[in-house]
Amino acid sequence: MGEQKASADSRRQFLKTATAAIGAAIAAGFAFPAVVYLIGPVLKRQEAETWIPLGPTNKVEPGTPTLFRVTVERQTGWITATEELSVYVLTENGREYSAMSNICTHLGCRVRWIDGQQEFFCPCHNGVFDKQGSVVSGPPPRPLDQYPTKVEDGQIFILGGTDRG
Amino acid sequence: MASQFGNWLDERLGWRSVWDTIFLRQIPKVNWLYTLGSATLFVSLNQLITGILLTIYYVPTPDHAYDSVTYITTQVPAGWLIRGLHHWGASAMVVLAVLHMIRVILYGAYKYPREITWFSGVALLLVTLGFGFTGYLLPWDQKAFWATTVGTEIAGVTPVIGQTLVRILRGGPELSAVTLARFFGVHVWVLPASLTLLLLLHMYLVIRHGISAVPGRRE
Repeated sequence: MGEQKASADSRRQFLKTATAAIGAAIAAGFAFPAVVYLIGPVLKRQEAETWIPLGPTNKVEPGTPTLFRVTVERQTGWITATEELSVYVLTENGREYSAMSNICTHLGCRVRWIDGQQEFFCPCHNGVFDKQGSVVSGPPPRPLDQYPTKVEDGQIFILGGTDRG
Repeated sequence: MASQFGNWLDERLGWRSVWDTIFLRQIPKVNWLYTLGSATLFVSLNQLITGILLTIYYVPTPDHAYDSVTYITTQVPAGWLIRGLHHWGASAMVVLAVLHMIRVILYGAYKYPREITWFSGVALLLVTLGFGFTGYLLPWDQKAFWATTVGTEIAGVTPVIGQTLVRILRGGPELSAVTLARFFGVHVWVLPASLTLLLLLHMYLVIRHGISAVPGRRE
């Protein structure tokens, strides 16, 4: 009698454990693909970079950051979107060119060159950068982002991403 | 430790009696056919989880529906799996629900006092078929488009109000962005809400009455 009860108890315990284990396996079977699925686009390869033509070098006035606007095609999810890229190009000697993003390194607003003050100004939180893009005052944590540049046949190119997965 | 925490919670929530009522019910000697209802419930949970995940990327407009589904299937990691589970789960849910109902019919389990359980089950089947019908349009491919064209056209044979019904279903004279949007809204809001309410009633009644025994030879 006592033995029977003990075996019924161990049977019950076994079924409990088995049910919990199978349940946990099924839950993991849902949870693992779900997490992969949710964070998947983040894990995708880094954006492909290409040389983007900005325009003729003779548009750049030496000593003054000159704004170039170009539209690039970007693959975002299932959409191929055109995006306008604004780039400040600076040259001091007409031979070496540097290109800066107009995106404030603080929180992503767009900066504007103010000729009178000789500085870049961000209207969102009063971030100020100098001509080379270094931080003068305000909250920005680092200088304006620079693009690699090259000049070919009098055209300026920057190296930028066109695919954001 | 765990049992101490269980006691602490039980004093405040009384969850043990709820747990016992749901999972430690007395049941007659039954067979595997009695698992068909639980199987249907399990598949509906699968549909809920995978359906919620699909809405993370799916966009119900003619411009984006097909492309976003393609994106899910080919670009998102495990997207093929999530969509596949939802796709096959949909068929499985209908099949299992029908098998469950056949078992209930053959065993006479719909009889007093379980009539309301049966009626709520019939309503659940209709909701499930509604899920199938509205979900079929969402990929917005040729098959979806023409199947829904035909499917909604069938409502047109209703006497007197037929053409009005078709226009209501489609949100206009023809399948359009409006149709896709309303099918999506019904698929992810109206039907899940209905299913939840009906399911609560159905489960409450199953627990309240207990399950019926396999009928004997002379019954």
